[in-house]
Amino acid sequence: MFNSYRVLLIIGRFSLVVVLLAVVFGCSQKPAETTTPSVKKIPAGSEYSGFLKDYSNLKPNPNPDGISMVYVRDEAQKNLRSYFAIVVDPVEVYIATDADASKVSEDSRKALTNYFQHALIQAVSDAFPPVDHAGPLTLRLRTAIVGVDVGGQVAAGDTPSDAKPFQHALNIGKVGVEMELVDSVTGERIAAGVDRANLGDGAEVGAEHFSKVEKFAAARIAFDDWAGRVRAFLDSAHEITGADADRVDKAYQPYGNDK
Amino acid sequence: MKKVFLLICCLVIGAAPGFTAGEVSTFHAYVDSDVCARLMLGPLTASRMECSKKTYKDGADPVLVRLKDNTVFSVNKEKMVKDHVGNLVAVTGEAKEKAGTIKLQTVMADDASSIPKGDPSRRLLDVTAFKSPASAQTFEKVRHELAMMPYLTDFDFISFTMVDTAIILTGWTVRDTNRDDAFYRAKGVEGVSQVVNNIEILPLGTNDMQIRADARLKLQRTHSTYFWSNGSDIKIVVKNGNIIVLGMVRTQEDADTATIQLNSVSMAFHVFNLLRVVPPTDKKKG
Repeated sequence: MFNSYRVLLIIGRFSLVVVLLAVVFGCSQKPAETTTPSVKKIPAGSEYSGFLKDYSNLKPNPNPDGISMVYVRDEAQKNLRSYFAIVVDPVEVYIATDADASKVSEDSRKALTNYFQHALIQAVSDAFPPVDHAGPLTLRLRTAIVGVDVGGQVAAGDTPSDAKPFQHALNIGKVGVEMELVDSVTGERIAAGVDRANLGDGAEVGAEHFSKVEKFAAARIAFDDWAGRVRAFLDSAHEITGADADRVDKAYQPYGNDK
Repeated sequence: MKKVFLLICCLVIGAAPGFTAGEVSTFHAYVDSDVCARLMLGPLTASRMECSKKTYKDGADPVLVRLKDNTVFSVNKEKMVKDHVGNLVAVTGEAKEKAGTIKLQTVMADDASSIPKGDPSRRLLDVTAFKSPASAQTFEKVRHELAMMPYLTDFDFISFTMVDTAIILTGWTVRDTNRDDAFYRAKGVEGVSQVVNNIEILPLGTNDMQIRADARLKLQRTHSTYFWSNGSDIKIVVKNGNIIVLGMVRTQEDADTATIQLNSVSMAFHVFNLLRVVPPTDKKKG
């Protein structure tokens, strides 16, 4: 009886330790998975935001209508064609060097990044099916909106009743986009781009669900266009040309047509 | 009380077959394997029959292909069709077209001669009827269009067959865009009257993704000459843990070693080797 009691006591203590460890470990892990990127600032005098770890291998895009500066890895065993699923990370925001960060509310940052992340997913999803977690043959798309400025105050009558206005709008008139595609498991860079296209001239984001408000239509169009340019970049990187085209053509023979 | 209960039981039993049963029909069919049915819908060629028998032997499930319209049915009792794989049968059963299933009642060995002339079921039997010079030209254009699809990976294989001027697209892809792209490319070719799109979009389950990555890595090591930066001669289709390896290799040894390599991929259930051996000299002639 005594032995049974001791065994029960030991099991009880052990269970308690396990539960405590699980709680502590669980709590310590949770923030890492749900990190919400906060607003960062472009360093003074810098050409780039610092979002990408390396800008040195970016080259001007031969296509004048595409993303301005690009990098595409062309190793035989590790290039864009080696992947076909994608994890689209939450978008990061870099405000202009002279912008007042205190006037950028969390709600306005979220409105902007949520919309752009959604637009990116929409733009790439039929070519790169989005998945929730990293894994083999899966890319991770990291994106930042760079050069966001603080806009004017949003008047109460500017938005419909169901769109909560922000105190200060976000001005995306001089925004650019920086993005990179990395191997979701190893983090190795597969492609990258810096887009300087000024698509949001005069556009502002002044309310939650701004995409439904006519006043902010220019911002919605700008984000959709940037997302479209990311897709166009992927399309152009997948084009088959020159000697490769001949080889691909010769290699393809459908089944079931021989007698 | 008992009488009421019995009455309800009778009503339920009486109503049940009428409520749940599909329409019973009799039709001519070809007994295929699920792998080849996905790959080679259309005329019944010698290579297709060989494919059916080989893949069934390797573990693929037998299915029925209704001759008149190429509809594929999975069957409720495999025992009833397993001895007929690669052959024609006349079947009776409750077919549910939308679900692609059939509840078999009878299966009898059939012969092409038993199908009356002019019956739509005969269309797939006379292969030569589909090979006019004009159709050969259209075939080549469609082939070229599909070959140049930009988003095809080592894990997609899109095939097609021609029935008169209609194209039946078959195969597997990991991307939605390829399914649509193939359809529009084939439809845009002059001389194509109709396109039936039977391309299957593969699920991206974690296990299948791991199998794909491991399988390619193994073949890239041992069969490196068949892989290059923008494509490969060997395609690796993975579905629910099964690997179907397709494409062209130069020697039988290369085909056999591919099977050995793929059999060592962890978590893979079956390897269906459908690689075609095309020696270099033959390739030049072709």
